[in-house]
Amino acid sequence: MTESRIYLQRAKTNKLVEASLLDEVTDRHLAMWEGSWCPAMEAYCEGRTAGNQPEDHHWDWKWKADEWRPLLGYHSFAIVCEKDLQGLMLVSDFKSARLRVQFGKPVVYVEFVATAPWNRPELRKPPRFRGVGTVMVAAAVELSWELGYRGRIGLHSLEAAERFYRDHCGMTKLGKDRGHQGLPYYEMTEKQAERFRQ
Amino acid sequence: MIENNKRTMTLNLTPREMAVLEQLASAKDLSKTGVMRLALRLLQAVDSKTRLGQKLMFEDEKSKEKSELVLL
Repeated sequence: MTESRIYLQRAKTNKLVEASLLDEVTDRHLAMWEGSWCPAMEAYCEGRTAGNQPEDHHWDWKWKADEWRPLLGYHSFAIVCEKDLQGLMLVSDFKSARLRVQFGKPVVYVEFVATAPWNRPELRKPPRFRGVGTVMVAAAVELSWELGYRGRIGLHSLEAAERFYRDHCGMTKLGKDRGHQGLPYYEMTEKQAERFRQ
Repeated sequence: MIENNKRTMTLNLTPREMAVLEQLASAKDLSKTGVMRLALRLLQAVDSKTRLGQKLMFEDEKSKEKSELVLL
């Protein structure tokens, strides 16, 4: 497991805070998810209708871990800051690009990515840290480079995150995918990845 | 996580197999080793799903006709 130093922004002061990006979700991270992330999410969801709950509130990272761990084609990431789990991501590396300019070439596909409940403006004002999503997308792009995929990544976006992928990450929207719960599919090309890395 | 501890093996391929490998490497913009690694990861992922009773299906985008790929 490799630990990289990254920086998140404390929302209250706008100051950068040192954090760790780990390229493997361990049992310790899953215990942190279960011990603090889940209760915070449950507390927010209590009494709210399904439509008013975060779209990822039902994601069970422990169950997902059992599925991906034995498989070579999956990579997991965790961000830890001030001894708390701040974000989780699972990507796969055997899916193909759909954009015409890179059709059929392999991409790093973001299966799941989430920031901790206390980092979401809709759950906590002000949120604790900003920048988790950016670091995770950067990690997916870096993995893509390491695998020889030249920065190509793909993902299906939840509605609430579309603006982030389109405007902040500069990804291309390919429309809604009826084979994936009607979620919009986004892809990053080699050129877009270079721009994102700058 | 990309593991750096690697072992070497020799792979003997027929001319046809090598031609396919080279064609795939070109189409996928990967090295031949990269293609073999990708194939291994893909086969393991598909195999794990089919072991759980799931099917690998292909769908024609235009006709919506579906066909199942049966793995041995």
